[in-house]
Amino acid sequence: MKNQLRLLRTERGWSQAALAERLGVSRQSVNAIETGKYDPSLPLAFAIARLFELKIEEIFEDESGEEALAAE
Amino acid sequence: MAKGNFFRANKRYHRVFWPLMAAYVALCFGGSYVINQGWVSGTVATAAIAIAVAAPIIGVFLVMLRLVEETDEYTRLRQLKSMVQGALFTISVAVVIGFLQLFEVVGQFWTFWFGPIFFVAWGLAQLRHHFWGKTV
Repeated sequence: MKNQLRLLRTERGWSQAALAERLGVSRQSVNAIETGKYDPSLPLAFAIARLFELKIEEIFEDESGEEALAAE
Repeated sequence: MAKGNFFRANKRYHRVFWPLMAAYVALCFGGSYVINQGWVSGTVATAAIAIAVAAPIIGVFLVMLRLVEETDEYTRLRQLKSMVQGALFTISVAVVIGFLQLFEVVGQFWTFWFGPIFFVAWGLAQLRHHFWGKTV
């Protein structure tokens, strides 16, 4: 799943550690999400969306969903 | 997923982990010394010392479990996957050694080594998750 987390974070001048602290998760979690190694749970995705005052789909892009639509 | 959970959980873990490790080292040396000096006799007393020496390690396992329960979702998933892989590797080694012993290919194996084998396998599994592949 692609996401805009790194872009949103750097726009605000936050480090990964600073974002992690705001979300109450580890810096490794932020890094894993940014690099696409980990897709967050729904509650964490909502927390991220709330923090950046955006909708979840404005941050996370469901590639598998798009591929399925393209295949139809 | 309350704010700061991960950091509080980590602090709690270290606050208990290091005293347990210190107790383990002290009990290891102390227990061996007491046994070697012949200050205790009888199976029950010797077994009590053996269990006392092992107790901090059991405590570490419990603290690790609590950390896994309290930490953030990504760390929890990574730790659990690594633990399961480490445990499966250790059990596999135990089964192979068991059959090697049964068929008299190898002699006695010190079962004490299964602890370190698990911890090393767990650590290697964590490294694998850290450097390669998608976690979920």
